[in-house]
Amino acid sequence: MTKISPKNAAEAIYRATKGKLGNDLGLALKRSVQVLQNKRMIGKSGEVLSALQEIIDRKEGIVRMKATTAQRIENIERKKLENEVKEKYKAQSVISEFFEKPELLGGIRVEVGDEVLDATYKNKLRKLEKFLIREI
Amino acid sequence: MSNNIVENLRKEIEAFKADVQTEKVGHVMEVFDGIAKVSGLSDIKSSEMVTFPSGVMGVALNLEEDAVGVIILGDFSKVKEGDEVKATGKILEIPVSDSILGRAVNAMGAPIDGKGAIKAGKTYPIEKVAPGVVTRQSVDQPVATGIKAIDAIIPVGRGQRELIIGDRQTGKTAIAIDAILNQKGQNMICVYVSIGQKDSKLRKLQARLEDGGAMTYTVIVSAGASEAAAMSYIAPYAGVSIAEYFMDQGKDVLIIYDDLSKHAVAYREISLLLRRPPGREAYPGDVFYLHSRLLERACRRNVKYGGGSITAFPIIETQAGDISAYIPTNVISITDGQIFLETDLFYKGIRPAVNVGSSVSRVGSSAQIKAMKKVAGTLKLDLAQFRELEAFSQFGSDLDESTKKQLERGKRSVEVLKQLQYAPVKTEHQVVTFYALTKGFMDDVPVAKIKEFESGLIEYTERHAKVFYKDIADTKMWTDKGEEQFKKAIAEFKSSFK
Repeated sequence: MTKISPKNAAEAIYRATKGKLGNDLGLALKRSVQVLQNKRMIGKSGEVLSALQEIIDRKEGIVRMKATTAQRIENIERKKLENEVKEKYKAQSVISEFFEKPELLGGIRVEVGDEVLDATYKNKLRKLEKFLIREI
Repeated sequence: MSNNIVENLRKEIEAFKADVQTEKVGHVMEVFDGIAKVSGLSDIKSSEMVTFPSGVMGVALNLEEDAVGVIILGDFSKVKEGDEVKATGKILEIPVSDSILGRAVNAMGAPIDGKGAIKAGKTYPIEKVAPGVVTRQSVDQPVATGIKAIDAIIPVGRGQRELIIGDRQTGKTAIAIDAILNQKGQNMICVYVSIGQKDSKLRKLQARLEDGGAMTYTVIVSAGASEAAAMSYIAPYAGVSIAEYFMDQGKDVLIIYDDLSKHAVAYREISLLLRRPPGREAYPGDVFYLHSRLLERACRRNVKYGGGSITAFPIIETQAGDISAYIPTNVISITDGQIFLETDLFYKGIRPAVNVGSSVSRVGSSAQIKAMKKVAGTLKLDLAQFRELEAFSQFGSDLDESTKKQLERGKRSVEVLKQLQYAPVKTEHQVVTFYALTKGFMDDVPVAKIKEFESGLIEYTERHAKVFYKDIADTKMWTDKGEEQFKKAIAEFKSSFK
């Protein structure tokens, strides 16, 4: 029997529920849960849900961004950053989360999907350390 | 002094450029037995290097729909669930340079002999497509192994792949070591790849090579029995990359894979852990490709493409002489011949225990020097006939004169082919011995005295048949004048030999 991956299941749920509303949507979701139960995939519901989220984001042009800085950044800078990301990924909208981590010392780390732009001082120092102890 | 240090440090820091680039990352979902399942890393290539936060490297081997199977090259206890994994964009590569000669390194090219760091000049990818047809040249230069049974009957040429196959304790490694020892002054670089061997065995071998002065032109690549299977898996590829580095300089290289059975076992372990479907003997479906792509990298390149060659001696260990098992048949079909070692011969005292009947060299005869071809051309057939007659003669006592003669000659041939370990014989000495044997000069020497006769003859002719030796050194064949002098020297020696 072919193995069904959480991604496959999420894709199926997305197609089954697409464009449905009210009772139809409720019925489609109920059936989806039943299929997951029949296929013994309830334990993997977390993975299915995150895969479903990814599919919906992709179809609707939503980009999720995580930005981490050493100190809080102002709203105006946040907006600027969101616009940059929106432009780079050609997204319809950006859902952003901002975190503060003093150990980064300075700079910013931006994560979008599996891409990371690490421009923190901590990362620069790590690279400098590597550069100074390299074998010549 | 302190000013100097500060100044140097300032210069170094000024030279540092921290480019900020987007990187592809993933996260470790699970870690088990040297394997990590990683999420993310959407654009990763097969065999691409990845780094874990602890500095441990890994190689992406399984590219699945929603995860990447990574083999961890190092201490996997340092890799934790949730760790960020970075793709490097590079296929796994190892540092190479001329200073690697004489050193023992691990599968990642890092020194393991305690002699300090190796200055790396370049890096070479461990996986490379083998040289194409247009870049190759047929094998026509001999590899002198110094082992009489091989050089005379199963000759090996530069660029050939000759399998050494046999049960445990039949002298497989000994043949490889003798071949390395004999490369002194032969313009050959040797790479010995030890796969899943005991560290004590490797230490002994290294000491042997050092004693024989062979380490100056040898590199040892080791993935020990205590290391992870991933290291055993990449060790032969790392070894051949080092060999390619030297071949790219137009040099001839001899590489020994000791042994590919353990390599296949290590790959089986990795494949099963990565949940690839098992096939025959639980090996994965691509186990043939595992060895064929490795051995195809052995070649002789034509001068237009830089020259140089890689001669490969893969070793396979059989179980109870079964050469029809999966891995032995695979490697036999890939290589250009095999040297088959037999336990029975080994215990009969015929060492090296080469079974002449089952051993073959498919391309080596064109690489054999003319003199050797002339004296040893019929040796294989003679020995095969001797074995048949020997078995047959046990049934009957009444044998005709020619059969008796053939049997006597056969006994002397077997005796001549016996050789002590770590005592390689020069090609010209082999020619002398086989000349005396095939021309019947040894027929009246008692079998028990053959060894004594052989060493005495070499010593005597070296002094009294200089033209013969010079002919072979210069033109690889004797002249009439040289042969005349040589025959005279044999006759003189025989009259004094008791």
